[in-house]
Amino acid sequence: MKQIAKIALLMYIFITQVNAESPQKEEVLKTKIELGHRLFYDADLSINGTMSCATCHEQKRAFTDGNSTHPGVLGDSGKRNIPGLANIGSFKNLTWAHNNLTGLAEQSLMPIKGTSPIEMGMNGNENEIEKRLSQNECYKKLFSIAFSEDKNNINLNNVTLALESFQKTLNSDNSLYDQKIKNKTHLSSKDAQDGEKLFFGTAKCSTCHKAPLFSDDDFHKVEPKNQLSDNKIKDYGLSDITGNEKNKNFFRTPSLRNASLTSPYWHDGSAKTLIEAIQKHDLEINQNLSTKEINKLTAFIETLTDYSFINNPKYSRPNKECNY
Amino acid sequence: MKIALYIGCLCLCLFAQEANLPSELNAWKSLSYVNAAKNSKELPNAMLTLNKTSFVGLHNTPKIEYVTRPDKEGGTVSYGGIFQIRIEENGIYRVVLGNASWIDLSKDGKLIQSVAHNRGEENSGIRKMVDYPLEIGTYTLQLSAGGDSTTALLITKIK
Repeated sequence: MKQIAKIALLMYIFITQVNAESPQKEEVLKTKIELGHRLFYDADLSINGTMSCATCHEQKRAFTDGNSTHPGVLGDSGKRNIPGLANIGSFKNLTWAHNNLTGLAEQSLMPIKGTSPIEMGMNGNENEIEKRLSQNECYKKLFSIAFSEDKNNINLNNVTLALESFQKTLNSDNSLYDQKIKNKTHLSSKDAQDGEKLFFGTAKCSTCHKAPLFSDDDFHKVEPKNQLSDNKIKDYGLSDITGNEKNKNFFRTPSLRNASLTSPYWHDGSAKTLIEAIQKHDLEINQNLSTKEINKLTAFIETLTDYSFINNPKYSRPNKECNY
Repeated sequence: MKIALYIGCLCLCLFAQEANLPSELNAWKSLSYVNAAKNSKELPNAMLTLNKTSFVGLHNTPKIEYVTRPDKEGGTVSYGGIFQIRIEENGIYRVVLGNASWIDLSKDGKLIQSVAHNRGEENSGIRKMVDYPLEIGTYTLQLSAGGDSTTALLITKIK
């Protein structure tokens, strides 16, 4: 009896402690997200103050930028098409061709510090980020709340953690297709309905573009084998990371959410329209889709557009005023 | 005495010219330089001339009070500035820029949407070109998120 009472008391103390910490943890997370939100739009994360994450990841384009590739701060040509960020927190594999990143925090170091190509140009200048952010009163307050356990809390590592917290909030789940699923109804246009049947049926798009992400978060080699001769290919995709010849020309399946807003397509931006992107797939998978069928597929893909996502003020450029 | 003083002043005015440059530097006099405004009060001194390429001076971003908040503001180490231009005829106008600064064009506080944008030819010194449909009036041109404290700027009518 005494033992049971002891255990009950310990459990009570434990639960009370956890409940007391929860609002505090929530406040810390909320502040990390706010901090990450501001940093996402801050061009001081680039060497000459001209590029922020949002320079390439524009909300109105579902966080892509409308170009085949985007040059870096020093004019280096971009290597790959900017991928969208819808539901990025749900992906295990990040970027077009990397299977070894621990998460969004590590991934953000690639554009910030990467040298092949140079994007934001901060390699060797990491201290500069700390110096710039430390001059801003708002950042000082946000970092001190979000990373209270760190003595020198304004540092690049915490910048990446804050960016990760913000990006994990980028949820897109309110397209016409999503509403159809929630309300158990049908898509309104006949073409979109036919396109949906093709997508999940004979066209086999959903083999790789699996709902609900419309990506299987895996790597595939999809272009026809004779598309480009080897000496013209400069980007071998996953094999550049793994060193494994078998991974040559493998790229991660892009999500099709908001695809109507994210042209051009393909890892190098070489497909200018959705129709071109569909036609570029390996003919074996395509099974020689007719023009009519491709048009129906694009009508369906257009129903994956989430206008509330691209207009959500929580993801937009923040106001200058700091409420901290 | 008074007449002598008057003649003296007149001579001073006649001889108080711009600095004499050696003949081999005469072409320097054709350079148009415009210093950007940092705020709306300084705008009258930052007037651009249509069809004339200007070498423009820009300011460190924290010193600028933009008329409208730029879409791409730039960080604390970037450059920008504000200019004015008077348009006398409706048409399509091209803003030609020597660097990658973000361009915003507005009239009476309302942003004008661009209709086309392109890169310049390689080795032309032109980094970007943005086209706008403009009507008669005075426009505010804002440059922001630039990596350079100076650049070349031209506004020209193309249609």
